[in-house]
Amino acid sequence: MFGVKKTQLTPYIYLLPVISILLFVFTLGLVMSIFQSIGVHGDSGFENLTVEYYREVFRSGGFRSGLFFSLRVSLISTGIAVIIGVGLAYLLVMQQREWKILQILLKLPIIVPHLVAAFIIFTLFSQSGILARIGVLLGLMEHPREFPGLIFDRQGVGVILAYVWKGTPFIFLIVYQVLRSIHGEMVEAARNLGAKGKDLFFEIFLPLSIPSVFSTFIILFAFSFGSYEIPFLLGPTSPRALPVLAYVEYIHPDWMNRPYAMAMNMVLAGISVFLVWLYHWVFKKFRRHNWEGRSR
Amino acid sequence: MKKQTSRAVLVVVALAFILPLMIILLWSVTVSWPFPDLFPREFGLRGLAQIFEEGSRALESLYTSVKISLWVTILTLMITIPGGKALGIYDFPGKAFIKIFALAPLIISPVAIGMGIHSTFIRLGLTNTELGVVLIHIVPGIPYGIRIFTNIFELVGNQLEEQGKVLGANSFQVFFHITLPTILPGLISAGSMIFIISFSQYFLTFLIGGGSVITFPLMMVPYIQSGDRTMAASYSAVFIVVTLCGLLAIEKVLKLYYSKSSGIAGAFYTRKKVKS
Repeated sequence: MFGVKKTQLTPYIYLLPVISILLFVFTLGLVMSIFQSIGVHGDSGFENLTVEYYREVFRSGGFRSGLFFSLRVSLISTGIAVIIGVGLAYLLVMQQREWKILQILLKLPIIVPHLVAAFIIFTLFSQSGILARIGVLLGLMEHPREFPGLIFDRQGVGVILAYVWKGTPFIFLIVYQVLRSIHGEMVEAARNLGAKGKDLFFEIFLPLSIPSVFSTFIILFAFSFGSYEIPFLLGPTSPRALPVLAYVEYIHPDWMNRPYAMAMNMVLAGISVFLVWLYHWVFKKFRRHNWEGRSR
Repeated sequence: MKKQTSRAVLVVVALAFILPLMIILLWSVTVSWPFPDLFPREFGLRGLAQIFEEGSRALESLYTSVKISLWVTILTLMITIPGGKALGIYDFPGKAFIKIFALAPLIISPVAIGMGIHSTFIRLGLTNTELGVVLIHIVPGIPYGIRIFTNIFELVGNQLEEQGKVLGANSFQVFFHITLPTILPGLISAGSMIFIISFSQYFLTFLIGGGSVITFPLMMVPYIQSGDRTMAASYSAVFIVVTLCGLLAIEKVLKLYYSKSSGIAGAFYTRKKVKS
């Protein structure tokens, strides 16, 4: 009897350390954020429960434009990264050779921290950057001022470029692994049946790689949506990206501003969680209506 | 698309991603590169010399960074290997939930988590300490560790470990001579990923480290902000080289260990992999 119990407990014992850390740092951090955002404090407990902070945050123009800025920048940068990354993966998998050197070189941006990525975009695209210098060489401009201000600009072009530079190799590597495992037999079979390049891409590679493309999309989106470094270094002062805005509120000398920071954080987290839920929901539908129907 | 065209596109796009890195390396050994020159006017080692000066703050911060990231890598591996094993081999109530839970740090912003836990860390005296920084760095690495080890344990199962036990090996022997060698490929990729994530962390370090724990990224940011390209580029170059060395070291150490332990496990792994 004891033996049975012990083996049933085994997986939980194995999971205990990692779950403890997650509970202590991650979950507690999340719960504390939620509590502070709805006015729950150590001293007063649940007495002053309120959604006032959320209401006020949504009323502020700075927050709304920041939210819009973050959403736009993350969507555009992740979208571009996915298109280039998938395209590269497809082109590479169709080559006869594996091109190990190309794969290794494309891994480099992954190990480069976001801070360095921000600096790279700065050296390339600032008004005295490499691109502006090429512009002078080609006789398109003479003075740095004539180069469009892509860094610190209100549209967030610099931020987008940095995320694209970091994100594309990530997408490429993951999708390439998937495509390579699909390659081989299935492609041979399709070719024998008369499929050409375009058919292969749209009928085999795309549908089979879509689940991993989408999950990487969500990971990258959530990352760029919720991270601080790049918009802090390359973004405009107005509108400010949400994580930057939240931190500004957080370090405000008046402690009463902290709940606003927490409310912003929760909106940030909520949107990312909603996306994951949407992903699962879409794939459930997708699988039920499309995949199984097709394969039968 | 024709073969030549697709090859050309591949090369051009890959270059677009790699060339910027080369430009950074060039900046790191440049003293003077005024606008609108396309090439540096004067080379020199001002930036690198300042970093590698005896007893410089930069070197000290580099040491702190490497120390913290190595601890984070070791600790995260120690907790995600058994975690991944549980999720990869066993079936138990709550498994689906825990799988999602362990991946949640990928989705929920570290900014939110860091600010939420900050006051608790202050109360526990964990802010301004390296221990606090290590603890907060572990969180973003967990999803990668769990995902990689879950996949690998699903692939290799635990029959080999069971055989070892039947033959009289104790738990330690089983773990070090069978489990570790079989999961080696995952150990390398998870270890590298966790090391990179911790090593390049900026926000969580300055929030929890509170200015007392100075890591390399923290030293670098003022130079990026002030636009001192030679210094920022030197920091970037050192950063990239140290990361590459770190990854290479992780791989070499593990492979060395692997070649010394029994080769059976490795053979088992490759056979399984080929089959699947």
